[in-house]
Amino acid sequence: MDNHHPPGPLQAFWMAFSENRGALSGLYLVLAIIATAILAGLIAPHSPYEQYRDAVLAPPFWAEGGSSRFLLGTDDLGRDMLSRLLYGARVSLFIGISVMGVSLVVGIVLGLISAIVGGLTDVIITRIMDLIMAVPSLVMAILIVAVLGPSLTNTIVAVTVVYLPRYVRLVRASALAELPKDYVTAARVIGVRPLRLMFVTILPNCLAPLMVQAALGISDAILEAAALGFLGLGAQPPTPEWGSMLADARNLIRSNPGIVTMPGLCILVTVIAINLTGDGLRDALDPKMRRS
Amino acid sequence: MLKYVLHRIALTVPTFIALMFVTFVAVRLVPGDPVEVRTGEHGISPERLAYFRHELGLDQSIGRQFLHYAWSLLHGDFGTSVVTSTKVTTEFFTLFPATLELSFFAMIFAIGLGIPAGAVAAVKRGSLYDQALMGISLVGYSMPIFWWGLLLIMFVAEGLHLTPVSGRIDLIRFYFEPVTGFMTLDALLSDQKGAFLDALHHLILPAIVLGTVPLAVIARMTRSSMLEVLSEDYVRTARAKGLSSFRVIGIHALRNALIPVVTVIGLQVGTLLAGAVLTETIFSWPGVGKWLIESLSRRDYPALQGGIMLISMVVIVVNLLIDLAYGIINPRIRHG
Repeated sequence: MDNHHPPGPLQAFWMAFSENRGALSGLYLVLAIIATAILAGLIAPHSPYEQYRDAVLAPPFWAEGGSSRFLLGTDDLGRDMLSRLLYGARVSLFIGISVMGVSLVVGIVLGLISAIVGGLTDVIITRIMDLIMAVPSLVMAILIVAVLGPSLTNTIVAVTVVYLPRYVRLVRASALAELPKDYVTAARVIGVRPLRLMFVTILPNCLAPLMVQAALGISDAILEAAALGFLGLGAQPPTPEWGSMLADARNLIRSNPGIVTMPGLCILVTVIAINLTGDGLRDALDPKMRRS
Repeated sequence: MLKYVLHRIALTVPTFIALMFVTFVAVRLVPGDPVEVRTGEHGISPERLAYFRHELGLDQSIGRQFLHYAWSLLHGDFGTSVVTSTKVTTEFFTLFPATLELSFFAMIFAIGLGIPAGAVAAVKRGSLYDQALMGISLVGYSMPIFWWGLLLIMFVAEGLHLTPVSGRIDLIRFYFEPVTGFMTLDALLSDQKGAFLDALHHLILPAIVLGTVPLAVIARMTRSSMLEVLSEDYVRTARAKGLSSFRVIGIHALRNALIPVVTVIGLQVGTLLAGAVLTETIFSWPGVGKWLIESLSRRDYPALQGGIMLISMVVIVVNLLIDLAYGIINPRIRHG
């Protein structure tokens, strides 16, 4: 590394980020979970759908009667828990990242339009966002899923709608703060077209808080989707989704605590890892927040 | 001030109208025919179908149905459940005290524990206690509360038999007519020995589950707000005057640090009502959250529609009140 120059922005960011032990361990955990999700097909010892009728409710390997055939035991249909949990990482991350991606893009577009066009357009967009925020998130998501029918795709749609206002309001507020600045006026004076003004001139200056929101938005989306799954309104069986696995295991609370514990633990660990990373991102991007 | 109040109230009107429109449209789009649900008949005769459709107003044009719906809402009529034939408002307000009571105790738990915990963490910044608390609160706000509820049932209720598993009171031992709808108050009013304690006992687990996320948020917010205030000049002045550190921290600093915390507490109202849906489902708590889910699975359109309207109105009104209260505490806002 060349130490004679001041660090570039990326390097400075990484230095700030990697100072934070919590953020760093969160990031490693997130990377591990992503790897699990991608490699689920290779690591999983069984198919997540295959029902082993000879081994229904097999205990995990450490318990009495457990075997190395089903390391974490099987569920009430004889499906391998470990394999279902591994594939579950795929489902949850897919939901989290899709929701984040869609709401980020739509949020940026609506937020920028709202800030730059102003007038009636702004009022309409802001009012719609206020409306979505007025309804408790899960209730709104339930309403949307009720209309569209429960499925993995509709879970993503519902959770995206619920979290959209955060992105729109964030982009709108930061764009409004940028608009009166001289560089924007200068760009306008030299005749920069509106689209270029929006995405090339203004947007890059609003990115820092947006990245933090996006990172934390993934974990919120995963939680919300799991809650829908738990209520039977999310991914439908036999999809190995952690929330719906919990719902299936509810009546086994007395006999098989393990089946109830594991999917929830997976949700918790994933969400913690993403939140740690997101918090670290915020501290690294916003020097004012650091060390507090 | 009056201008601010009126302006703020006027702002809720379009939200309310839009909400009316959205619930109306959404509920019409839900698959499944309400007539079939109500009569429980498949292949119902066309005459009977027409009769029921007429009775429910479903044979009119969509526009007329909407106007009718809006008109009724303005008169406080949120429709009638097609399953129980009870007014939606009656059902809602019978069940709402249960949700309110649960939310109230969840908030007591969250505030009572969160503010002192966060304040102490700020004072002992960087200590082991501070780090542990931040770690715990990270777990708290990352918690899937439906799983947390199941865990507590599994270990505390089923395993250690410390608390009941579900419900609001032991119905075998205690029975009394609801007066206020709040089980704890009704139990006190009933003069039955042990009823109040039993009601509280039933509240412990659900209140902890519902209060966990707000607790984590409040503790974090108190800590960071307190840290900011502790570095202010007036705190140094108070110290320099020789005031006891309890007075400096507990009175001078904490009071000012609490202003943003109050906002955060207000923002938790939506979180609480959303969380109530899950908590009530897990603990068979007969509140509006559980009722909403049941209405959905019974395809009870009017109940779902009215219920969502009423819940959202509660959130809108509470947010309005918080904004107004905030305008009173902080004059800069109402002139902004």
